[in-house]
Amino acid sequence: MQLTTAGQDAVTPALRKSAARRARRAQHRRLWPFLLPSALVAFFILLYPLGYAFYLSLFNYYLDTGASTFVGFANYADLFTDTRFWAALTRTIGIVVAAVGLEFCVGLTVAYGLYRLTFGVRALNLLMFLPHIITPVVAALFLKWIFAGRWGLLDSLFATFGFFAPDWLGDPAWARVTVVLADAWQFTPFMILVLFAGLNTVDPSQIEAAQIDGASGRQILFRIMLPSIAPIIAFVLTMRMMDAFRYFDTIYVLTGGGPGTATETVTMQTYALAFRLFQIGKASALGVVTLLIVLAFASIIVATVGRRKGRT
Amino acid sequence: MAAVHLSGINKRFGETHVIRGVDIDIEDGMFCVLVGPSGCGKSTLLRMVAGLEAIDEGEISIGGTVVNDRPPKQRDIAMVFQNYALYPHMTVRENMSFALDLAKRPKAEIEKQVKRAADILGLVPYLDRYPRQLSGGQRQRVAMGRAIVRDPQVFLFDEPLSNLDAKLRVQMRTEIRELHQRLRTTSIYVTHDQTEAMTMADRIVVLKDGVVEQSGGPLELYSRPANTFVAGFIGSPSMNFMPGIARASGGTMQVDLGRGASLPLPAGSRADDGQAVLYGVRPEHFQLGASGLAVEVVVVEPTGADTQLYCRFDGHDVVAAIRDCAECRSGDRIVLAPDSRRAHLFDAASGLRLIA
Amino acid sequence: MNAGRFRTSQILLFVALAAFTAAMLTPVVWALMTSVKQPIDAFAIPPKIVFEPTFEFHRQVWLEKGFGRFLLNSAVISLATVVVSVSIGTMAAYALSRMSGKAVGGIMLALLSLRMFPHMLLAIPFFILAKYLNLIDTYPAMVLALVAINQPFTIWMMHSFFVDVPKEIDEAAAIDGAGEWQTFFRVVLPIVRPGLWVTALFSLLLAYNEFLFALVLTGPHTKTLPVAIAEYGGEDLNYWSLSAAAAIAIMIPIVLFMMALQKHLVRGLALGAVK
Repeated sequence: MQLTTAGQDAVTPALRKSAARRARRAQHRRLWPFLLPSALVAFFILLYPLGYAFYLSLFNYYLDTGASTFVGFANYADLFTDTRFWAALTRTIGIVVAAVGLEFCVGLTVAYGLYRLTFGVRALNLLMFLPHIITPVVAALFLKWIFAGRWGLLDSLFATFGFFAPDWLGDPAWARVTVVLADAWQFTPFMILVLFAGLNTVDPSQIEAAQIDGASGRQILFRIMLPSIAPIIAFVLTMRMMDAFRYFDTIYVLTGGGPGTATETVTMQTYALAFRLFQIGKASALGVVTLLIVLAFASIIVATVGRRKGRT
Repeated sequence: MAAVHLSGINKRFGETHVIRGVDIDIEDGMFCVLVGPSGCGKSTLLRMVAGLEAIDEGEISIGGTVVNDRPPKQRDIAMVFQNYALYPHMTVRENMSFALDLAKRPKAEIEKQVKRAADILGLVPYLDRYPRQLSGGQRQRVAMGRAIVRDPQVFLFDEPLSNLDAKLRVQMRTEIRELHQRLRTTSIYVTHDQTEAMTMADRIVVLKDGVVEQSGGPLELYSRPANTFVAGFIGSPSMNFMPGIARASGGTMQVDLGRGASLPLPAGSRADDGQAVLYGVRPEHFQLGASGLAVEVVVVEPTGADTQLYCRFDGHDVVAAIRDCAECRSGDRIVLAPDSRRAHLFDAASGLRLIA
Repeated sequence: MNAGRFRTSQILLFVALAAFTAAMLTPVVWALMTSVKQPIDAFAIPPKIVFEPTFEFHRQVWLEKGFGRFLLNSAVISLATVVVSVSIGTMAAYALSRMSGKAVGGIMLALLSLRMFPHMLLAIPFFILAKYLNLIDTYPAMVLALVAINQPFTIWMMHSFFVDVPKEIDEAAAIDGAGEWQTFFRVVLPIVRPGLWVTALFSLLLAYNEFLFALVLTGPHTKTLPVAIAEYGGEDLNYWSLSAAAAIAIMIPIVLFMMALQKHLVRGLALGAVK
């Protein structure tokens, strides 16, 4: 056996880079057929329709008459001067913030309760989870039968005790409260599940160390556990806000956006424009605007996830 | 069976140059161990032989055929992975026969080969178990069995024993060695453990930072290390290095270690007057004596077979392993006499061995 | 803390959480009771807890009101969606889990953003395109739409299972002589089989629960259960018990699903399986 060592660099940086790239490309070439079907679906059924929606948003297009004229960005300009749009936007933000805030507070309380509980945790966790995975339309109906005027569970309970119940779905202010409660009913279980899982990832030795340092249960929660699951909290909050922002099924069944426009969110408004008034162009423009708003949220998520990856 | 030749191998990951012009020739039937600290490039080199890593520059040939552009399956090699990489959904039998099955060999032949490998490795009772039902040592054997059934030209081992506990590791070391003596298949074995390298190899290649530092038989590396890195890496506990100056006095060259200690040059070495050198002595090559290094004992560790003394000399730590050492205690002052026939001399600046 | 006080506080905590759970389940229980009440019991004040149950409405829903047909539609559409979406998504996830480089991270993040997509924006072009292509009220239109919105989830979920399979397994297979497809089908896919089932079930749930696209793209022939029940659950009190019976029936597969997947709920839901 003989051997020599030639430590010197005989190649140029360009050659060097191309060799590494060649190796990776060879590996990818063998794998790309696996990606193809999915890529075709993404292109033809996600990206192409998206582009088409943007294209439609540049036209004054009425589905019932079939009339279509190119108007450029006029639909967007109309939108931004339309008080109904601004009202829907502020209303949506109000509902989203109230619902997600409520879900987080209740979710964290219950998750911490489950974390401290030493028995029956799994059964409770599973049972309280049911509202989250029921078909949204069915969930909305369940709630409707609670909140319905006169014969709903709530009203008949009020009547039993001789109180006068508010009109949960018919009064504009109460209707918004009901919509928030409905969202909370379906998504608090999700918060509980994620936060409970998060609390369980906290290293027990950290908690024991804090106990030995003399920290109380509350101090441990707020100064040790919550900071260490902060990325999970940030992730679940932004995710939830984005989902609540585009949410449709519950409101459609529960109030249909009414009474009047009291619970008309941006998504409901888009639906009404497109499929009730058949103003496809204007509806598409509204959809594109919604997408941009949601993408702004998405970039927050991406930043959070990216940071979490960087840390581990 | 085949010889394996690596010539002018270079590899870069992005800007990091991990293998720098390595040449290794492994003769047919040889058990060659690549050893070095983590990150020295030994695993990368092995994976290049396997075909799992592209070769940026240079040539690898197996059995006289250049295999650079061949995928692993056309190289006629078998590999044992550090985490074994057994297929968890297959039984031991299925794991071992998978390769032959893919090669569409006849059923009877597959069965015969699996039987043979299972016999050699003592796996017959476990053939219908799943990997998760086996102990660490048994999994290790299955991984080897999977390699044996193929009857390949070359075996590649990537730190195969590092997931085993100490006792099992020693046992498997012997088993792998026995297996090699029986099958005589060319083997390339990667490890960071110099003891494994010393006990198993016909040839050891010591790598550091992607460069071959030295290669040779185990005893050659032990008794004639080419530089301070190899000297320190091979042997346990590590060689002591004491800085000194070579001085000519009365016709003979001496190494002045300071504190009035002056030692004759080690056998077979040379140095110029005034040259800064490192005087290297393995702990087992010290004796208690009348002349040599006057040291203070700091810690005494009897291991039974010998006693290791951790001493202090002129601000340096000196370790000595003394056979049947009598009554040394911490704080004692003793004199350690190096065996100058087995001591080593290195240039302080380059770290290279100084040879007469 | 002494043992007695610890036990008392645990019991109080349990009672509080059980009460919360009961409150959360009230709407479900109320609907369940409504579905088996005679109209005279359903509209009683105070609400009746004890009554003589009748399964008349459950019978009517399936035998007279055509819900059998809607169930069939839902089943065909959901199963077809799962088969297509999971098979192509699984292949893509495998490739992404075995590739390296910045592009892969970019694709994964893009998929995550797609999952956040406002479906309303897609519903409009889907509707127009389906109308042009004469696909309104056909199964393929619904299945394609659901596959498309399902892809990001399927890929993320399967990706999370594939990255748990060490790359050495692929390498061992390559050395054993397997090509890419053999490695995928004979080695890696069998290892992630449990994950494949989990992903398939979550995709099934997503397709089964979907409402907006079904509302826009289906018609009399392909109407799914959510659309049918939404039309039914109107104000008309005469239909109250009837639609409660239908709603409860729609929920039953989901309860089974939840029990089957309880261990995997966090993983699936954190990736946004359901809604």
